Amino acid sequence: MMPARFIARTKINPLQTAIRWAWAVIGPDLSGGSADAPPQQANSRWIAVLCLTVATALLLVVAGHAAGRRGYEVAPLFFWSGVILLVVPITLRVAQPMLARGERLFLLFLLAEALFYCKVVYSPTGFIAFDEFLHGIAADDLITARRLFLSNPLLPIGPTYPGLEILAMAIVNLTGLPLFVAGMLLLAILKGTFIGALFLFFESITGSPRISAIACLTYMGCSTFVLFESMFSYESLGIVLCVLAFAVEAASKDLVRRPRLKALGLIALLLASLAVTHHLSAGFAAIYFGALAVLEALRRHGSLRTHARTVVGLTALLAIALPLLWVQVHGNTLTGYLGPSVETGFKTLIGKILGAPTPRSEHLGAPTQPVGMRLTTLLAILLLSLGLATGFFRSLAMAAPSGVQAGWRPMQDILRRNWRDSRIVLLTLLAFGFPVSVALRLTNAGWEIGNRMGTFVFIAVGLVVAVGIVHFWQGRTPRGWRRIAPAVALTVIVLGGVTTSSLNPIHGRYRVAADQESIEPMGIETARWTKEWLGAGNRFTADRINRLLLASYGRQDARIKIAEGIYSARIFEGEELGSDELYALARSDIDFLLVDLRLSTAPPVLGFYFEPWQPQAGTPISGAELLKFDDIQGVTRIYDNGWIVIYDIRGLHGNF
Amino acid sequence: MGISSNRDLLVSCLWAGATVVVVAVTDSLVLRTALAAPMVFLISGHAMLRALGVRTTSALEHLVYSVGASLATGIGGGFALNAAGLLTPFGWAVWFWAVTSAAALVAARRNAPDLPAWPAPAPVRLWQGATIVLAVLVATGAYALAVRDEAAYREFKYTEFWILPSADGESGRLTVGVRSAETQTQRFDLEIIVDGQPFAVFRALTIAPGETWTRQIPVPAVAARQRAEARLYRPVDNRLYRSVSTLVPPI
Repeated sequence: MMPARFIARTKINPLQTAIRWAWAVIGPDLSGGSADAPPQQANSRWIAVLCLTVATALLLVVAGHAAGRRGYEVAPLFFWSGVILLVVPITLRVAQPMLARGERLFLLFLLAEALFYCKVVYSPTGFIAFDEFLHGIAADDLITARRLFLSNPLLPIGPTYPGLEILAMAIVNLTGLPLFVAGMLLLAILKGTFIGALFLFFESITGSPRISAIACLTYMGCSTFVLFESMFSYESLGIVLCVLAFAVEAASKDLVRRPRLKALGLIALLLASLAVTHHLSAGFAAIYFGALAVLEALRRHGSLRTHARTVVGLTALLAIALPLLWVQVHGNTLTGYLGPSVETGFKTLIGKILGAPTPRSEHLGAPTQPVGMRLTTLLAILLLSLGLATGFFRSLAMAAPSGVQAGWRPMQDILRRNWRDSRIVLLTLLAFGFPVSVALRLTNAGWEIGNRMGTFVFIAVGLVVAVGIVHFWQGRTPRGWRRIAPAVALTVIVLGGVTTSSLNPIHGRYRVAADQESIEPMGIETARWTKEWLGAGNRFTADRINRLLLASYGRQDARIKIAEGIYSARIFEGEELGSDELYALARSDIDFLLVDLRLSTAPPVLGFYFEPWQPQAGTPISGAELLKFDDIQGVTRIYDNGWIVIYDIRGLHGNF
Repeated sequence: MGISSNRDLLVSCLWAGATVVVVAVTDSLVLRTALAAPMVFLISGHAMLRALGVRTTSALEHLVYSVGASLATGIGGGFALNAAGLLTPFGWAVWFWAVTSAAALVAARRNAPDLPAWPAPAPVRLWQGATIVLAVLVATGAYALAVRDEAAYREFKYTEFWILPSADGESGRLTVGVRSAETQTQRFDLEIIVDGQPFAVFRALTIAPGETWTRQIPVPAVAARQRAEARLYRPVDNRLYRSVSTLVPPI
């Protein structure tokens, strides 16, 4: 920290003092901390104690879910005390300045896998999240049909990116494990690999295990880390391949000629796998390597610039060309899939900034969380912002040529394109994505894109915040508050990752149209009944949740679209079936309709019962709307369990 | 200091061969998982890494890159086997064996870089080891509890009731079924009506939780489509509890 110097008898100008203080806080001074402890052995005593603490925490989390299922009020107490017991001790320990590299790594793996455990015990025997069902169905189809590129009406883009399903199939085929177990095994390995790769990536560019460990902890504060990247879904594999490619490239930055080209071989392998696994991760890798190539081209510093430029240029070429080539080979479904979300999200955000009339999607309030969760999230965002403010210039200063560390000199060097490592410059600039992603998350339409952005932006946020913590907050002699406060701030950031991961991370009672909170045994048993008594492959339509259950547990052909321009919502909504809808149903090849009367008990938690693009519903659909098919000639009610009814509409087609 | 031996490559080849044999001859879940999981996640990638000649400087780096290369090998295998029409358990085993063996051969010929040295393990005292084992047991037990709780607890209690025409489209037969997911044994009366006329009655059906009752009911086949209805009554409160219907196909 740059101290403000006062001279006796000099008149103190408060404004000047404030500016000096602000400069000192945000300035590029790196003299605060010699980042790392000398090599030492891991402390087995701490590791043993923390293992037991984590196990106790996991037991509390399981108890929280059990109590939540029964609607007991004590559920949050169990669950959150478990989460706090899990996160706080490990984070406080990892954030300590003097710690062995091995111990930091072990504790990071322990925390990441324990958080993954928390996700799995929400539903310990089956997939639960919406995206998991989509990919589970695709993997099941692949295992059954033994052919790639089978259509998936619930996720039309899915067959173009079959990487995850291929790996799941390999495990299922070779081991004989059920798909769910194989998927969880794969995800557990991916979680560990991700943390390992992220740590290596940060370590390669900063040279400090301490900064790397703190950066990894900060990444765990990302809203997608705990749940979204732990789902059986293609982004969980995509982000791992992406970070692996970054780590290999960063580790090879000081190599020359053949060794570097060999590393490029591995990067090519990873990028090729990424191109066929996940579009957004491949896109981010292309942006990262493309921007890195540009920065390398601009860079003036370094003796091996030409060689580095060539190799980074080749890497960028691969990162950009491979996904484009794959999209060309398999037809461009990407624009139609991602385009509307990106466009609406940014339009809504810009509209909000410019004060344009609020679009319809924003009229309904977002689903709310308990106050404690919201406060933790807010505090975490505040602390991240503080970390970014104090780490931004320091992070840039790390990229400046070594030896240039006084005052704002490093910034002058950076502005003169004189930096040592383009990766640090790039990541520091990418951290600007954080406020954008937070702003997008504040809108209903932009939430999705803001959430996805976080996955990638937090790699940069992790670095910048870690540099801020080590070089400013902990400083040269981390004692007293400097030892405690940054560690506590990190625990809040990691806890923020849990609170932002989902609306309600505790397994609760059934809620209407709330994705994972709507999946429970009765819906699953009904879907299984269809397979047992009607056979697989019948054409069904239903609400969003039951479509998933029918397609996965029931192995049915669950459709969203009835006919051109007519989607399931139009069939189910309205107290009478209009002539257009009846005609569409009669002319369609749909065999059965599944009606879930629980929809009539409450408005949809996520705002829609059937499709995300339907107008947001603030009032519940009525029972009369759902049961109108009773009165239509040719339609019969073949199944009824009191809540769920199945109509056979084959009589409408004149099949008999 | 690195490890300069090529013994790891030989072990990789033997492991891959053993996986092929085990997949071909046994259905044992434990044996197949013990051999195949390391093959899919680590060994094939380790051989690939050695064949590419990528130098790693720490055990962590080597492990992480090996997992990455294994994932890439597996994904590549999916496309290759799909093209060859061999997406079968044996096809997968042969793929991993072929890739591992070929990579090991290349690595052995090109004199691959040394492996990184393993870090010295931290000394662990007896109580520390016991604490870690206890932690593993608690976490495993907690998972078992979660599985048990999920299976045991049901928010909704219900009785499923259905009527179906013959599955093969054959006329003259209906299937009626009742399945209980209630907490207590229930008694029902069941009535079948065909084209508005009472056709069959089943009295005092006693169905325990988890039990399924089904009957195949022959109905006279006629030239026109008939509507069959099944009604489930609860004698305890004498009210219509469920009603389902179907169409009987004509001759």
